[in-house]
This record gives sequence, C-alpha cells and structure tokens, in this order.
Amino acid sequence: MILSLYKSYSISFSERFTLVHIITFTISIAFLCCISPLYGQVKITGLIFDSESEEPIPGVNIIVKDKLNGTSTDKQGYFSLSIEENDQFLVLSYIGYKTKVVEIDTMSILRIELEQIVGTLDEIVVVGYGSLRKRDLTGAIGRLKSEDIGKISSLNAEQSLQGKVAGVQISTISGAPGAGAAVRIRGVGTFGNSSPVYVVDGVILDDIQFLNSSDIKSMEVLKDASATAIYGSRGANGVILVQTNKGSSLFEKPVITISTETGVQQLEKKIDLLDGKEFAIIANEIRAGTYNNVDVVPNTDWQDLVFTSTPQQNHQISIKGGNNKTDYYLSIGYFRQDGIIQPSSYQRLNLKLNNSYKFRRKVRIGNNITIAPFEQRVVPDVTFQLYRAQPVMVPYYEDGSFGVVPNVGNPLADIANSNSYNNGTRAVGNIFAEYIFNESLLFRTSFGTDVSVNKYKSFTPAFTVFNPDGSPSQQNNNFSDILKSNSFGYNWLWENTLNFIHDFSKVHNVNLLAGFTMQETRSEIIGLAGQNVIRDGEDFWYILPPYIRDESNNIDMVNSIYNGVDPNRYYNMISYLGRIVYSFNDTYITTLSLRSDGSSKFSEGNKWGIFPSIAFGWNIDQENLMKEFQDLDFLKLRFSWGVIGNERITYFDRFSRVNAGLQAIFGNPDAAYVASTYGKLGNPNLKWESTTQTDIGLEMGLFNYRLTTEIDYYKRITDDILVELSTPGHIGNGQGQKIRYNAASVQNKGIEFSLDWSDKFNDLSYSIGIIANTIHNEILEIGGSDGIDSTLIGGNLANGQQVTLSKVGLPIGAFYGYKTDGIFQNQNELDHYPHLSQASIGDLRILDLNSDGIINGDDRTYLGSPIPDFVYGWSIDIEYSGFDFSMNFQGQIGNNIFNGKNVVRPDPYNFEKHVWDRWTNEGSSLFEPKPSYGGYNYLPSDRFIHDGSYLRLRSLILGYSFSNLKLGDGNINELRLYVKANNLFTKTSYSGYTPEIGSYDVLSSSIDKGIYPIPRILSFGMTTSF
Amino acid sequence: MKLVSIIGIFGLIALVSCSDFLSVNPQSELTQEAFPSSPNDAFHATNAVYSTLRNWHYHSGGFPILDIMSDDAHKGSNPNDALNTVGPYDNFMHTTTQDGLDRWWNGLYQGIRRANVVIEKLPLITMDESLKNKYIGEAKFLRALYYFDLVRAFGSIPIVLTTNPEFRLSQSAVVEVYNVIEEDLRFAIKNLPLKKQYMPKNIGRASSDAASVLLAKVFIFNNNFLEAEDLLLDVIQSGDYDLEPDYYDANGPNGEHGIESIFEIGAISTEGGQGNQYANTQGVRGSPNRGWGFNQPSIDLRNAFEYGDVRKKATIIELGDVIDGITILGDSFTPDIVRDENGQIVRMEGYNRKVWIPGLSTDTQYGHNRRLIRYADVLLLAAEALNENNKPEEALIFINQIRKRARGGNDAILPDIISVDKSFLREKIHQERRVELALEGHRFWDLVRTQFAEPILAPYGYQKGKHELLPIPQSEIDLSKGSLTQNPNW
Repeated sequence: MILSLYKSYSISFSERFTLVHIITFTISIAFLCCISPLYGQVKITGLIFDSESEEPIPGVNIIVKDKLNGTSTDKQGYFSLSIEENDQFLVLSYIGYKTKVVEIDTMSILRIELEQIVGTLDEIVVVGYGSLRKRDLTGAIGRLKSEDIGKISSLNAEQSLQGKVAGVQISTISGAPGAGAAVRIRGVGTFGNSSPVYVVDGVILDDIQFLNSSDIKSMEVLKDASATAIYGSRGANGVILVQTNKGSSLFEKPVITISTETGVQQLEKKIDLLDGKEFAIIANEIRAGTYNNVDVVPNTDWQDLVFTSTPQQNHQISIKGGNNKTDYYLSIGYFRQDGIIQPSSYQRLNLKLNNSYKFRRKVRIGNNITIAPFEQRVVPDVTFQLYRAQPVMVPYYEDGSFGVVPNVGNPLADIANSNSYNNGTRAVGNIFAEYIFNESLLFRTSFGTDVSVNKYKSFTPAFTVFNPDGSPSQQNNNFSDILKSNSFGYNWLWENTLNFIHDFSKVHNVNLLAGFTMQETRSEIIGLAGQNVIRDGEDFWYILPPYIRDESNNIDMVNSIYNGVDPNRYYNMISYLGRIVYSFNDTYITTLSLRSDGSSKFSEGNKWGIFPSIAFGWNIDQENLMKEFQDLDFLKLRFSWGVIGNERITYFDRFSRVNAGLQAIFGNPDAAYVASTYGKLGNPNLKWESTTQTDIGLEMGLFNYRLTTEIDYYKRITDDILVELSTPGHIGNGQGQKIRYNAASVQNKGIEFSLDWSDKFNDLSYSIGIIANTIHNEILEIGGSDGIDSTLIGGNLANGQQVTLSKVGLPIGAFYGYKTDGIFQNQNELDHYPHLSQASIGDLRILDLNSDGIINGDDRTYLGSPIPDFVYGWSIDIEYSGFDFSMNFQGQIGNNIFNGKNVVRPDPYNFEKHVWDRWTNEGSSLFEPKPSYGGYNYLPSDRFIHDGSYLRLRSLILGYSFSNLKLGDGNINELRLYVKANNLFTKTSYSGYTPEIGSYDVLSSSIDKGIYPIPRILSFGMTTSF
Repeated sequence: MKLVSIIGIFGLIALVSCSDFLSVNPQSELTQEAFPSSPNDAFHATNAVYSTLRNWHYHSGGFPILDIMSDDAHKGSNPNDALNTVGPYDNFMHTTTQDGLDRWWNGLYQGIRRANVVIEKLPLITMDESLKNKYIGEAKFLRALYYFDLVRAFGSIPIVLTTNPEFRLSQSAVVEVYNVIEEDLRFAIKNLPLKKQYMPKNIGRASSDAASVLLAKVFIFNNNFLEAEDLLLDVIQSGDYDLEPDYYDANGPNGEHGIESIFEIGAISTEGGQGNQYANTQGVRGSPNRGWGFNQPSIDLRNAFEYGDVRKKATIIELGDVIDGITILGDSFTPDIVRDENGQIVRMEGYNRKVWIPGLSTDTQYGHNRRLIRYADVLLLAAEALNENNKPEEALIFINQIRKRARGGNDAILPDIISVDKSFLREKIHQERRVELALEGHRFWDLVRTQFAEPILAPYGYQKGKHELLPIPQSEIDLSKGSLTQNPNW
C-alpha cells in the first residue's frame, strides 16, 4: 500500500501544480458559482446547562438534525443559530454528557439541560494515557485551542504554540523549507537534547513534522511533574499531546471540509551592508590604492540577487462522519513551500485515516493513521556568502559566465551547481482495541508504529569559475561529486492500559490507571559517495563503478561507503505505569503517579529507572465559604512534585568501541590498508538524567467565565545530566574526543502566567489572551571527579573559535569573550593601558579584567545569556457579523545574540553598514574602530553581543464567513474567506535577518552564523464545509 | 471471569518481558573486549598505529610551529589568518592556552594508545610468534617516535604503557621517558626487518634501520655521541642508502620510498581518510590555490644558502617561479613584500617547496609523503657525532657528501670543508643541517639541543630556561586537578 501511494505521489510531484491542487481549486471554484442565498431563515437562541448543577456548559455542540449546520455554546452556555423554518430538531452533544435531541421552539429562548454520563462536571482534558475532568486536574497543562491551530502558515504544527501557551519557547532553526524548530518547555533542562516528546493519538514520537495542522484537533502541553511523570524517562523536557480529528455519530451525513490557502513569502528585511563605493572607500583606507577610482567600481547587492518572493500553498480535503457503530475521518492534504532562496523547496502530501468501529456493546476497535511522503530540495547555505561577498564584484561577466568573488566564491554559481534532494515517507499510526467491562472499567490495548524512509541524493557537477584572464579561480570542482544515502527507521510501541473510574456515593471520585508498554526502535543507514560521473544528467546520478571512474589513474571513484544504524534510534524499552486520582467531594484532589522504565541503552544495574509524582489540588470555590462570591466561577490551588527522566543519548555511549574506520598507507605506489584500533572509552556507568520538578499553581475563573487566569511557579532541577566531558589527553582518546558522564545539574525556575478575557456585545464578540513566563536558568554543577573538566566550551564559529562557556553559576551556553571599552583615541591612551601587540590607535580597547597588566585569554569573561528572561505573547480576536479578526504578538526579552558571522574574517569581506561610522582620527568615533579586514578588532568580544529582545507580529488575520448559503440542494455549513499575514513585522535592535536564532545544540544557542531568513508570508485562504 | 483473565494476560505479558529484550548490542561495531583477537585483527591494530602519522594533529598540532618558532619561517598565510592562534609562536608570545598545544599532546597520546593496544593485546593472541614480534616491534618503534616528540616538546610527561591508564597520572622525569624510548627502540631494532627486506607493497613500515637511526637521534639529543656514532655508521656502512642525485627528490614524489628515504609517511592524494593534510597546511595560497600557505620562509633562511646552492630553489617557492609549467602568483589581497620603517624587506611571500606535489587543486597536496628520517639527516648526524667524538676527518667525508649534491654539478661553488677545528666544524655541520633540512621541522630542535638557541632566537623573543619547552597545555593542567605541574617559567 505504501508503495503504491509512493508511486502516485511521485507522479503528482512531478508537476508543479499537483493533482490535489487542481482538484481543490476546481471544487472551490465550482462551489463559489453554485452558492445562492437560502430563504425562510429564522434565528434561534438558547442556553444549555447542566441538569444537576444548573451551571451553564460552554462548548456544547449543537446541530440541526439531519442538516449539519450547527454551532456551539459560548463560555456562558449560550448559543444562537440560523435555521430553516421547517427544521424540527436540534441535536446537542458534549463530551461527558448524554447526547440529547430537542424540539425546536422558534418563539422563545430555548433552555436545555444536559445530563452527565458518569458524574462528569467539567471540561474533559486529555492527559497522558487518558483524560480527566479539568476539575480533577492537579497538573500544569497548557492547551492550544483548535481555532488557534493553523494560524501560522507553517509546515510545523508546533509553530502555532508560539506566543500562545505560557512556558513554551519556540525558535525556528532556519527559514529553509522543511527546517524544524527548537521547542523548549520551561527553559533548557539539559545539555543534550532538550526537546519535548510528542504523543500523537497515543504514539510517542520525537517530532510532528509529518502532521498537517488541519488534521489536528487539539494540542496540550504537559509541563509539570504531575502531568509528565506518567511518561517517565521521556517526560523531563515536557510532553506535547496531540489529538487528531475524529469522526462522530453526530454526522450521519458526512461532512466534507475543503480548505485552501495560497500565499507569497518574502524576505522580512535585508542586512544593511556597505555598497560598492563605500566598500571601495573603506578598502582604500585599509590599504591605500586598492581602488583607483571609487566612483566606477561595480555595485552588486548580493542579497537582491539571491532572495526572491516565492509561493507557499496548503490545501486539504477531509470528510468525517459516523453512526452508532462506526465513525471515520479521512483527509488528504498537500503543502508546498518554495524557499526565498531558489530553488529550495519542500512539499508534503498527507493522508489521514482515523476510524473506529463498535462490536456488540463492549468492544471498540479503531485506527489513527497518517502517511506523509515529502520531497525537499536543499540549496547550499549561501547566507554567509551573501554577507561576505564584496559588493565591488560583478555576479556575471559580459559573456554571461559567473563572476569571480574572491575568498567566498560566487553564491550564484554555488546555487546553480547544487542538486540536493531529500525524499522520504513517514507513516505513523496505531490500531487499538478497547474492551468496556462496564461503565467504570476499561481495558485498552494499542499497537503503534512509526516508519520512516529517507533518501538523500546530491550531485555537484565538475565546474570552474574563471578569472577574467581565463585562469581558474579558487571556486571550482575538479570532479563531479555524487552522494547518496538511504535511511530507514521504524519503531513499534505496544501499550496496554486498564482504567477504572468510579464515583463512590458522589463523594469519593476515583480514577485508577495501570499500564504496561513495550517499544522497539530500529534504524539503518546506507550511504555512498563517488566522483567523476560519466555524464552530468540526472539519469546518471547513480554510483556504479564503471561509470564513476578516474581514467587517468585507472581507479573506480567510489570514495566512501557507510552502512550502520542511527545511534539515536536503536534501542528497546519496557515500562510499567500507574496513576491514582482521588477526588473528595470535588474539592480535594490527590494524584499519584509512578512509571518504571527499562531501557537497553543502559548497562545491567542501570537499566531501570523509577519516576514518581505526587500532587494535590484544592477547588477552593467548592468550599461553602466561597459560595457567596457570585462572580467566582472557579478557584483552584494546586501543588505538584515529581521526578522525571531523560534517556536521550545514543545507545552505544556506554560501550568502549573499536574504531574500524582508519587507514594506513604503505607500499610503492602508495596503497591503503585497513586499520582498526580502540576508539574512545565508553562509560558503562551511564544512567538516566532525572529532573525534579516542583510546581505551585493557581487557576481562577471570574464573571461567568469571562475572565480565566492561571499562574504557576515552577522549579526544575535536572541532576545527573548526561554531558560529554574532556578527559586527560594521556588516556589516548584523541583531540576533542569526550566521554559522556552523568555529571551536571541545572536549575530552571520561573513564573508562568496566562489570562483570557472574552465578552460579547450584541453581535460583537471579542477575546484577549495574554501569556508570559520568566526563565531563570543556572548551572548548579558540572564535572567534579578527578580528571574531568568542570566547564563546557561550545559555540564553535567557522574558524574554530569558541564563544560559549558553560560553568557553575551561569546559564547554559553563556557567551564569553573579551570586554571592550571604546577605542584607543591617541598614543597616550595606547601607552597607558595594557594592550595586545597588534593593537594600535583607533583599535578597540580590550579590558584587562584580571589587572595583571597583560591582555590574554584569561581576560575573557561572561558576556551574556542566550536564554531569554521573559517570553510573552498576546492576542486579540474579534468577531462581528460574519467578520473575524485576529492578531497575535509574541516576543522575548533579555537574551543576547552573538553575531558570529561578523567575527570570522580570515580574508577581506564586505562589512555591515555601521563600519561606515568608523574611527578616523581622535574623537571621530567612540565605538566603531578603524576599519580592518579582520584580526585584532574581530576577537570575540562584547562588541559582537547584541540584544536579542524582540516583539513580532506573528499573525494578522481578517476573515469573513458567509452565512445562509446553499449548494445545490444541500446546505453549506461554513464558507470562510480570509487573508493572513505572518511575521508582518519584528521590532528588534538586532542587525541580522531575525533575532530568532534557534539551535538544537544548547551550547550553541543564539549564535548567528548566517541563518536562512524566516520569511514573511502573506496569504489568502478559504475554508468551507458542507 | 473475563476481568480475571484479562488481568491474567496482562500479568503474563509483564513476566514474559524477559531481560533479553533490554539487551541490545552495538551494531556493526566491535567492542574493545572483543578486539584484537585474531592474526587479522593484529594486522589491523598494527596498521592503526601508523594511521596517527597522517593525523593533522600529529604534525606539531597541525601547524608547522617548530619551523615558525625557528629563524627559518614565519606564520605565513594571510596576515589575519590564525593571527592570534598560530601567530604568537612566531615571536615566542605563545601562552599555556595557545592553540594547537592540546591537539599535539592529544594526537601523540592517541598514537601511544594505539601502540599500547598492539603491545598489550597481541601477546594474548595465538599466531606466528615472529610475525607477532614484528608487529609489536612496529608498535614500539612508533610509540618511541611519539614519546620522542612529547618529551622534546613538553619535557617531563606522564608515561602510559597500558591501554587502561589511571585518569590521574603524574609526570615522569625526562630521563625515564628516554629510558622507555630506548627500550622500545632496542626491541624494534631486534625484531624488525631491514627496509630492503620489505616487499614493495609493505615498504613504509618501520624497519630495523629506521629504529637504529631514531635511537641514534635520541642519543644525540642526550649528547650521547658514542652510542649514536655506532648506530649511524652501521646504517651508513650497510650500503642500503644513498642521497638522491636530484635534491628535489629527497622530499618530492619521485623519491618516495627511494634510496634516501629511511622512514616516511605514506599518503594518497585525496582530502580525507587516505591523505595527509601536512602539505595542504603549507601549500601555495595564491594562484594556483594549493593550500593554506602557512610556514613561509624567512629572509634569514634565504640568506643562509650559499651562492648557487641548488637546495635554495628546492626549498623556497618564490612568487613568479614556474613549477611544472605553472606560474606561482601571490594572493592579490595580501602584500607580496613587507618592509620595515627603514625600507628593509622583512618578509616576502613565498612557500615551502618541499611539500609541493604536482597538480592544480588542493586535493593533490594531500599526497605528499612527509619524510621523517632521510639519509641526509643520517649523514649529518653521523658527521656531528664523529666531530664530537673527535674524529673530524671522518666527519668531513659525510658533510662534504652533502655539499657535493648541493653543488648541482657546478664545482665552482660550495667548496668542500676541510677544517678539522672541532667548534668550527660543529658550526659548519649545524649550518649545513639548516640548509639541507630547512622547513622539514628539524631546525628548532637542533637549536634547542645545542648552544645555538639563545644567540639565534633571542631576537625573536626566545628566553633561555623557558622556551626550550612548550608549556603543557593548560587544559591538561586543569583536568589533572593538581597532578601535573607546568614547565618552568610558564
């Protein structure tokens, strides 16, 4: 099946406008032509409340029987709906309540009571391995509302979380099509992989890049120990639960939804660099006579030549429905993003299949399956070249050939000669069965898999960029290069849970969970590289020895062969888990959870880890004392404590392995011989990282749920952090070969706050949401034992300089370097202060911090943190008679950026514009030294540290929903047209493309080494369902 | 009942999950417990000790700092490139955290570990005893070579003779290190074949001759000229070696494993696993672009050659030279000539001719076979030993043999040396060593082991009592938590 899908996708991908696109488009057009107003309309309004508590129920689904047009109740339990005169019944449904059919009374406001199914009182919140009444929740869980998903036009659904859920920080790694984002929940908890895990319909995964936003129903971010400890060794960096759309028995007649969005992406801003004449003037100041006439030098804006505006599109058709026995949700989606550096692109096809079937009365089986083939075209990362290329060089000579760009190469030639493709298919899904013993006891077993196939190929033809005199420049490739790698990965996860829910005499509410899971993760990679392919054409991009040959030396040019496993994806796990939630009188709640994980990644004796949590909740509003506060809807205080683990290391770190990849050269003529010897030492004592997290939270709802707010204080201490440390050289591991130890502790603490206000005046409804959180990140311990270092140096720049130093008392990945204080204005100052021998008048004055009279490496110090102190976001949503408007801002304060691309200057490159304000004579500049192509003034110093604070208008959306439309004989439930802008503006003082510089490596965060810019996206879209 | 059975199944599943499921072995990789265990493993493990020789770090940490510290060369490359990392070695401004110190230290100890694998584990393998001893002999030769670099560069250092050393080791006295070296080389001399006994495909492996010369060198560094003389004369009298008729071939591709080569590092012209970056680091940085252009010859070195000495052109590439039909041009962005305030030329762009390999790309440079021990060195060491042992007449034979080739057939230049005055001859031999072995990494050691270092290098910043040794890398001092002591005056 996968094979045939794969085939069909490769056919459709060969066209720029795919089949999906055409179909979607045709349907949409057909649709717009057929719509006509519907007559005989009346409007009904109503209030829905709980039969027992008589409290209004927000979020109840209301549809007209056999019709499908519908709505849901607002926070005060009210709804209004336009119906036809002859409509007779409404169907009301809400999770935890019995579905009800009521007769329509158009003459008055309907008052409808709903009856609970099992004593549910409140909204149901999805938690790990089940769901809980929000009232019984003791954990800190951030929820992304379904309407907020997809507000960001991105491949990655988690982008929607940015600025919407407190405690979540998302930094895009790169604006290249298909690039991911670094997601951090409550700070940076470890030196290694600090990303959360994702649980999609029960399948535990490392990412959700394969998911189409439109298929997602809800995302919950589990933050504290009470919520995450049930995920044991994988919960320490937080857990993001994703539920995808399901069918429902409410839709006996299937509902078809079509959404289509097309946009244009553009560069948000250019980096301000010197133009040709300015560069020539500066060059003459550095070395007189470099340019005889600065007025006639060429002026090439390399950024203009490379960045273009490109389209992005996203289309989807889904169908959902169901009856008493079965329900289904099927969708097909297509996403394509063309990079603003052409020809980079990414396209993905999504097939989604969520079904469930009931057998007799007690058994339900079902499946949740996603299949997502993708194709990515990668271009060389030329942004660093654009930054460096001298503006006085021409891109092309008169004969049309590429112009020589000294020292960096012509970026256009590099792009033109690059052919890199990454194809793959990801198939994620599970099949589950549930046995319902009775209303209280449920057994569930589910078997899930995550299968991924990736094929990478890259071809670079032989080429030479020639100097004007016909001699070859340094930009050339003697032999064509071909590289291929195929990787295959799968895991299976078998989960079994038994869930007991009972309300004993309406006072003692108990929810018990016990479970057992097994998981196997496997992978394999095969890679080949060769040179001198017989023809340049794509038909010959294969590594077949007779056709890749060095004829002059008579050898086949298969340069390397690799076959092995992905060390992060080769392990087994067994887990036991249990949870008790006990609620007394709906007022006092206790949650206990425990998970025990066994992993093949660790040695005998360290294989098993135990991860407990305990939490208490107090629904203060239930106390009699509080009943008199009429405006208070709810008030909850909760406290949680627990220990959670992180097992994300490569499986073989504990083994001392043999390095078989060496070669020795003997003989005349020289020939290669196999060589193997001891590789670096492993550490058999490795164990889990454990994070102890404490959380105190207060939740409140006021004024009939108009105002809801939540505030949390958290403190996470991660101990036994797996960190690679230097060991003494005489051990013989070799330069830079570090050994992994459980040898560090990090603390993250802060306050998280969220507030939502929503209200309604007649037809105008609006809501305002604010989130904010503080992060304090501090290393408590590194190393300690003999022969192991106590600092971690990272942040490698392109020239090997390292600009981060992580040590006790500092945040992870803290910047370090020299501090400067202005410029040596005259000989007096130069004589007076200690300085390096290279320094002269007009150069930066580096401070002698240790006052030993010498400037050297010991004078380097802490310069700033890559981790923000404060992350925030706010949003405004307004709806008025069919129009909807939404605006999301997001930002952060207090982090620094290291402008790494500016520091690495072994050769003469172009400069940022500020160099124009250079020092020329005494007093002419206090900050900008006299120009130089590199060297002394470019030592890593505070001069390259910039404020990384920013505020970004993440999304701005204006939409209009048509009501009362008819398509042929049927009703159109929804037809909404909208325009959307993402990343419309960013307020920042940083000179680079973006202040959002993500990195998976926490020791190299916020270092701008030349990042593919994140584009601004302006799009137009339409959603309809019928 | 159903409930019970379900729970029963549940429990069963839990029990079935035997511990086997949680045991996953490393894939496609051997662990150290299982290696080396066969004659084939022994062969591979022995080869791996040689692999270190092509590791960039092996060559004084990557950059040719020994020549840069000497009076023969400057940092080179673009003025700004590695200005603060390699630059300070040029005028003895380097510090305990200087770039490259840790690379050299770690690279050499990695080589020593690889040798220790062979020396410690091969005795446990059942295999042909003489082959086993040959392998161990090769490993001991290389271990001695690595220790010789370490002890010369860093002085007293931790001695590691096992694959599983303590993390905390203290330094051993220099003499103890030399004892280990001597013992290893004695074993190698006894158990290794002569170079001429190697089949062409195995040439390049350590030979008994190479071990003899290396031991002689060790002796000379310790002013033990008597023992050195015996070893060197044995090699010379074997008649297995001679000087290449054309001086270019002493280091060039035509002389690889030739008559003058006693021990060299094999390399293939590719960037990566089979090549050697040593020549790329020093390759022409201009047009054509062959490398990074470090280690540019000094004016002083240019002046050291006598008029007409053919070795000058074979040592220094001057801009405008035509090699293999290619005109060498400088990098247009850097000045070709640097003058001082008086207009005197203090520096000229130029490159190390000895690492030149024909070709236009940077790749081919990786094929340079660096000569670690060549016969000219043997002759000059023998001359030095004989002179010190008061046999100047015999010394003259060897030094004049060297000078004869340098004449290039022109008998009017480079006259034979005839004086038998010991100190005169000593200076002459060192002068001859300088020009014969220039830019091959010998000069700095030669100055340091004799009385010449201070007078010659002091103008560059050399301080007696300090700069004979490099500082032990500060990172190692820090990691040792007090078990390592820094060298004097650092």
